[in-house]
Amino acid sequence: MHDSILTYAKSRYLWISLILLGGSTAAYLWHDPGGPPNGGTWLGYTLGTISALLIVWLMFFGIRKRNYLNNTGTLRGWLSAHIFLGTTLIVLVLLHAGFQVGWNIHTFAYVLMLIVIFSGFFGLFAYLRYPAMMTRNRDSASRDAMLDEVAEIDQNALALADGIDPKIHAIVLRSIENTRLGGGVWTQLRAHDGSDLAIASLQKALANRDKKKETPTAEMPTMFAMVDFLAERATDKQGEAMRKLIDLVSRKKALATKVARDIQFQAMMEIWLYFHVPVSFALLAALIAHIVSSFFYW
Amino acid sequence: MRWLIRRVLKKGKGSVSYEEDVHYGDVLTIGRAADQAIFLPDLRVALNHARATLLANGQYKVESLIIAGIRVNGDITYVTTVAPGATVEIGTTRLMLLPAPQDFDGGVEISTLDKTEQQVEKERRSKPTRLGQTRLSKRGPAWILFLLILVFGLALPMLGHFVPGIGEMLKHTPLPSSASWNPGTIDAAHQFFASDCEKCHQKAFLTVRDSACLSCHANTPAHADPVKFNLPQLGNAECRTCHQDHNGARGLVRTDQRLCSDCHVNLKARTQNASTLTDVGDFGTSHPEFKIDLPGWDAAGKFAPQRVTFAPDLKENSGLKFNHLKHLKPDGLETPKGRRTLDCVSCHVPDAGGAKMRPVNFEAMCHDCHTLGFDTLTPDRQVPHGKVTEVIYTLNEYYARVALEGGYADAKSPAIVQERRRPGSPPLSQQQQQEALAWARQQARSVTESLFTGRACTTCHKVTPPRQADDTWQIAPVRVSGVWYGDAKFTHAKHVTVKCEDCHAARKSEQSADLLIPGIGNCRACHGGAYAKDKVPTTCISCHDYHQSGTLKMGKL
Repeated sequence: MHDSILTYAKSRYLWISLILLGGSTAAYLWHDPGGPPNGGTWLGYTLGTISALLIVWLMFFGIRKRNYLNNTGTLRGWLSAHIFLGTTLIVLVLLHAGFQVGWNIHTFAYVLMLIVIFSGFFGLFAYLRYPAMMTRNRDSASRDAMLDEVAEIDQNALALADGIDPKIHAIVLRSIENTRLGGGVWTQLRAHDGSDLAIASLQKALANRDKKKETPTAEMPTMFAMVDFLAERATDKQGEAMRKLIDLVSRKKALATKVARDIQFQAMMEIWLYFHVPVSFALLAALIAHIVSSFFYW
Repeated sequence: MRWLIRRVLKKGKGSVSYEEDVHYGDVLTIGRAADQAIFLPDLRVALNHARATLLANGQYKVESLIIAGIRVNGDITYVTTVAPGATVEIGTTRLMLLPAPQDFDGGVEISTLDKTEQQVEKERRSKPTRLGQTRLSKRGPAWILFLLILVFGLALPMLGHFVPGIGEMLKHTPLPSSASWNPGTIDAAHQFFASDCEKCHQKAFLTVRDSACLSCHANTPAHADPVKFNLPQLGNAECRTCHQDHNGARGLVRTDQRLCSDCHVNLKARTQNASTLTDVGDFGTSHPEFKIDLPGWDAAGKFAPQRVTFAPDLKENSGLKFNHLKHLKPDGLETPKGRRTLDCVSCHVPDAGGAKMRPVNFEAMCHDCHTLGFDTLTPDRQVPHGKVTEVIYTLNEYYARVALEGGYADAKSPAIVQERRRPGSPPLSQQQQQEALAWARQQARSVTESLFTGRACTTCHKVTPPRQADDTWQIAPVRVSGVWYGDAKFTHAKHVTVKCEDCHAARKSEQSADLLIPGIGNCRACHGGAYAKDKVPTTCISCHDYHQSGTLKMGKL
């Protein structure tokens, strides 16, 4: 079976994390601080030091993964440790604080840490889920190959449409202009190929341009509707060419959807890092503030 | 209208040549059809694709004739008015509308986009397909958040510490002040100065000093004299060793067993015999039997309780004769005011603090039955329940008055005492007065003796008759209620749910020497040690204070 990042090296880091968690919990239960448990007891300082060092070390993963010359362990090992040891922090830090929370810089740091960890969970989820979906979606083609095919279909469709009717040629031409893949963050994440948006904005422009003129495209928001339109207008003579054109346009629509899905999967695999990384630096600042302020007012 | 149509021909290696043509007409048509003014042989161009019209002010009106539209200055449009210099792109052709050249009304320059230009154009138009190509960034937000949090989470509150004015200002703004560093609720007792961090945290990066605590707590009792008891735990102890604030409204005082049991081990040897305290640990298992303060008096008659180890057969000397059994008869007692059933609270009433019992009050609790009358002829007259001399004064004065006034209806008394003095009768002679007063002295003496030894005092008190002539009667001192366990803080108020009999076997006691105060065994019926599961978990601090010295204050250490 494929060795998942979670089961790397026989789940070595899962066991290390469980031992760390078990040990800390046992120490917490055994420890009698005299008063309410808090970060200022010897155990509190110990767990706090471990947690702070862990956070700094976990952040080094960002450097380690760029450093291809580094031989200290495999990158897979680092990632596995990053995930498991990072997760232990949820409990480790609570034990450090004796479960005390409040409206202060200290709990703020913890909340930032939770955001980092849970965004990391989403990243793990994305890495476990989307690569397989991407492979299935691409169906052994690359994105560039799909895009080349779209361009080729465009040329063929134009040639076909030109032989049918100038109006149909114009429609196909517009479809080519408007099919643009990718877009802003939200568009990428929602798997929009952009044509719908472009059509909506064009409808507005059309309506403004000429309200008297009958515009056959006004009620056709999608490419499928355009296909219907093509089918309606087809004459017997043009039947063969029409069928070919419809095939081409359907194929193009399918390809465009695939590319949009491909972009979506890739975006899903990347988007969490845009939270994970900046918030982890926010956490580093909050951690510094937490430690310095704790000793400033010792 | 004359249009100049200039075609740009690329010849490779960057050199170009121009081919100029003239078109006459109001409208410049553009398309793939042969009749178009500008003929573009490109599949991506419609037969009649677009047209341009020259306006009076030198501008051009550009219209698309098909639904695909045209790209004017990079944006798809259907109809627009543009100034000379605008570019129109159709397929792979770029048309630039020129300012009217000399001798012409309008002009247009036509060039074909070569492969590289097409590629650049395509890339310029293509939308981002990766998040990295969008405006999202990791580095920027990371730096911004990092710096923002350092400034507002650390630098600003720190500045407030070093510049008090800024600190005070921050407290009145939504900006984070040093209060944002507060790791937890401050103890209720300290909350009145909680917003003033520097009150305790006087120097940055230094722990809270004792001097800060002692500015208020100088009069808090100390634990023990560190000079007398040479123990590092005692001498090196700082306030913060035990007291850490910010642990909740009731988090400042340690109540754990270790606070005491760590040190109260082998004290005798560790203090070179300065301490006589026995080892103590868990209340349930290793607390020594209580030391009880039995009532006692020194030679001068001053109350001097004797501290002895409690034992079940211990006798006490309260100085009082009292039979609890008799007084607590379930069917009641015959009293001058009728039948009354006494209960513990009839005599033992807690004091206002709820900890101790109020002293038993003779007048309020005993007097109803135990009257102090001394003369059957005047049953209402009673001696005071007070000092011996006052009792004797009362009797002397009473009988002197009776003797002189006469009318004392006792057949055994002299005639002069019995004789009633009538208005107008002559005054007593000196001899008669002396005779009457001699009787009075005798009578007072005999009544005194009878009171002290027979009828009244001796019922409850131990009475010693005078040994010599100038001696007087002695009543032994009494201590019925008080503090029996001087070093513990037992309070009755917290034990009202328990019946008196559960701790005090008074209903079976016939002698006042019976010690009705229970020992540790009785407490342990309900109270266990700190870790007791089936009993009330009880730590040292439940009954003892750490700051308990009667003489030494924290400020004087």
